Amino acid sequence: MPPFRTSPKGCASKAGARMERRNDMDAVSPAEIMAAAGARELRDGETIVVGLGLPQVAVVLAKRTHAPGLTSILEIGVANMNPIDTPVGLADSRIFYRGTCWSGFLDTLGMSLHRGVVDVGFLGALEVDCYGNINTTLLKEDGRVRYFNGSAGGNDVASLAKRVIIIMRHEKRKFPLAVTHLTSPGFVGGKSRETLGLRGGGPSRVITDKAILGFDPGTHAAALLSVHPGVKIEEVVENTGFPLKVAGQIPVTPLPTAEELRLLREEIDPRRVYLR
Amino acid sequence: MAEKVKGAAEVVRSIPDGSHIALGGFAIARNVITVAHELIRQQKKSLTLSQCVMGLDTDLLAGAGLVSRLIVGGGSLDRFGPVHCVNRARETRTIEAHDMSSLSVCFRYLAGALGISFIPIKSLIASEVLERLEQGPGAADLRRMTCPFTGEEYVLLKALTPDVSLVHVQVADREGNCQIEGPRWENEEQAKAARRIIVITEELVPTEYIQRNPERTVIPAHRVEAVIHQPFGAHPTSVFRCYDYDAEHLTLYVDHAKRPDRIKEYLETYVLGTKDHWEYLEKVGGIRRLNELRADRILGY
Repeated sequence: MPPFRTSPKGCASKAGARMERRNDMDAVSPAEIMAAAGARELRDGETIVVGLGLPQVAVVLAKRTHAPGLTSILEIGVANMNPIDTPVGLADSRIFYRGTCWSGFLDTLGMSLHRGVVDVGFLGALEVDCYGNINTTLLKEDGRVRYFNGSAGGNDVASLAKRVIIIMRHEKRKFPLAVTHLTSPGFVGGKSRETLGLRGGGPSRVITDKAILGFDPGTHAAALLSVHPGVKIEEVVENTGFPLKVAGQIPVTPLPTAEELRLLREEIDPRRVYLR
Repeated sequence: MAEKVKGAAEVVRSIPDGSHIALGGFAIARNVITVAHELIRQQKKSLTLSQCVMGLDTDLLAGAGLVSRLIVGGGSLDRFGPVHCVNRARETRTIEAHDMSSLSVCFRYLAGALGISFIPIKSLIASEVLERLEQGPGAADLRRMTCPFTGEEYVLLKALTPDVSLVHVQVADREGNCQIEGPRWENEEQAKAARRIIVITEELVPTEYIQRNPERTVIPAHRVEAVIHQPFGAHPTSVFRCYDYDAEHLTLYVDHAKRPDRIKEYLETYVLGTKDHWEYLEKVGGIRRLNELRADRILGY
């Protein structure tokens, strides 16, 4: 877990943020590319259940750019988060302020997600395998088991959302052939969601700091869709622990626009809690 | 009617070892710290804890060695870190963990609150979460079945009926009518599933205040057994519109929670070394620090 930067409350943090503002708009960080790419996957008018971390940033960016009519839902019981200070997670009051509905799990994960009206589940992950199965529970290091946050709403979202977008760092160990622990199902064993008995449509994108992956409609295996500027296809393949399908011409992921960068740096995450 | 307003120590004395306690916190928001500390001071044993998303309250109780079983969806201290004490207890297998998902635990409370013995869900299917539950002691609490009407596959979850539910609220009256501001996660279902509901309130208000906006009453008095009045009772976690989380103290906590010897030191200093929550509040900085954490009236944090 990266160190958390404590910050002064309320207005003080906003003033501090302005002072910290970076002038160099050219040096775009991988996290900024991820956030912008994540935002672009969301369409105006869609309903999104948002997970902890970068998904929170991407959803606010989408809402403030091309998707003003997007509805975001946080499992804790907040609709349409629109924070003015960067929250440190899902349980931060900063994310409650200016919401349009306060409820709880029964409303958010129950009567929206379980009811079948959520278009996108937007999640982070410790590991993702070639069928888009997600691990957020545990890792094995030197024969020792290390536990992390577990499912929380992750399993519910992956099971029930119409499509799932995963956002995570691209490292070989994070993309194993099979996840160490299958917390949230994708196309388990390459099977269709219907065969698995799952209502939701399953994973559609994995957005990393190197590339964007999709899933082959026939085999349900992960395939390379685009590489970020300056990243070679071989580099993506080498850093993926499972055989990654690379077919045809692979385009380059567009960089964030100047306006997207300004929003990310000045408004959404000026203290760089997520955009390191 | 018997007086419901009680002190934390008195209430905790009425909770036997081995109880199933449902905790009302979520990560770093509205955790039941007052009662968690008192459970530690009174060294309760072999507790079962349940919660959709664990936070500091669960981690403190696990760190103090009071917990033998967990029924949870997941948990963390948001950006401050994972629930180190809980995770260590899993790794050393000193806790029997029934790891589910947020909605599964919420549905189990809902079934409990409605007085039905089970509830079907479309989560958990095709996951290792389900496999592990089926292979462990959690197997007794779930079944797979096919819907007799549609033929669709479901997981059936057994209702949860905690012995005691603890919930921290902004406002309650002496009878126990509770009003919660901001999101309420599983507070309502969890409380109403329990045999006994114990409320910890920031502010004790006259019933006439409740009567002004009765639509805000989430847990009504007739279900509530006891009301503990404890301002800053959730510190260092936040209470929306009352105070922010204490980032410095949470960082200090996580620093200690990472290591077994250090968590002991934390508990000795801030919990066992204080006689009640008032003394704890003095130790973490007193009125000067608490005033810094007070919520902005517009922002609510």
